[in-house]
Amino acid sequence: MRIPFLAVLIFLLALPSPGQAAMVDETEIDIQTREIAKTLRCTVCQTENIWESGAPLAHQMRDVVRERVTQGQSAEEIRAYFLSRYGDYILMEPPKRGMHWWVWLGPFALLLIGGFLLYRELGRWVAHTPAPSTEDLTPLDEESRRRIERELHSGP
Amino acid sequence: MTRGTQLTIGVILFGLLILFIQGLGGDPRSIPTVLIGTQAPNFVGPDVESGDPISLSQFQGKVLVLNFWASWCQECKVEHSNLLKLHDRFKDHPNFDMLGVNYQDQVKEAQAYLKVFGSSFRHVRDVKGALAIDFGVYGVPETFVIDQQGVIRHKWIGPIVGDPYTYLTEKILTPLLNQTTAST
Repeated sequence: MRIPFLAVLIFLLALPSPGQAAMVDETEIDIQTREIAKTLRCTVCQTENIWESGAPLAHQMRDVVRERVTQGQSAEEIRAYFLSRYGDYILMEPPKRGMHWWVWLGPFALLLIGGFLLYRELGRWVAHTPAPSTEDLTPLDEESRRRIERELHSGP
Repeated sequence: MTRGTQLTIGVILFGLLILFIQGLGGDPRSIPTVLIGTQAPNFVGPDVESGDPISLSQFQGKVLVLNFWASWCQECKVEHSNLLKLHDRFKDHPNFDMLGVNYQDQVKEAQAYLKVFGSSFRHVRDVKGALAIDFGVYGVPETFVIDQQGVIRHKWIGPIVGDPYTYLTEKILTPLLNQTTAST
């Protein structure tokens, strides 16, 4: 009874998984379609790209991308087509031109401004904080020193 | 913290707050279309009722109202009586025509919809959705006005009711048709 069970198990493990099958079957057109579709926004769901979206419009857009890839159009030509129909909104990444530069450079600018303000404020605090005077420090008395040593050497 | 630093932080936070509030109100309807002033893409598709081919070139030289709709769309039902009213108002003008585009729908359901709600103009099926993408459609209903030269002059996302209906008829169609009357 054990041998047939093991044989079945080995046979099942030897079978390619659906994931492997999909990877093996993925053509160059599939790969290009996926890469382009990932850069285009689903206009219905807004936060998803058309590759990941389950909306019917996204599905149709994927079909259009695939059709154009099959016709031999480049990724840039296909993106330009969608851009001509929907405007910049269709792109998952804002284009690096015009006012869109604010989106790309804004976080770095804020980081720089914030860093500069923090540096300046810390400098001011340091400058206005008086250094501790060594004259005010009283030497450790013998009893305190012994107590510290005792506590350091005692177990937890 | 100096007054200057406080002011700078305040201005930055206020700017970010404004951007955040704007983002919350983000609506595709408010996104300006890039198609206004461009040539309308040509298309060919089957008539919803007869199956005969309909193409944009058949409407050459006319002011065309192109309305995207679907039988499953609730807002399309809301605007349907207005579409019929609009067609009835302008149908006698020789340079006016109207075409419905049935979007993401089953032909039987589209036919049943037209039977129930009535239809006085033709409707073309967007079989693969490619026509909607060509026109940069986000969803239904959406309405376009194409002038005599085949240029897209107006786009409205949402039902043609209330102010959008008045704007479409008085500010868009009437002047366009008056121009065509004057030029012919």
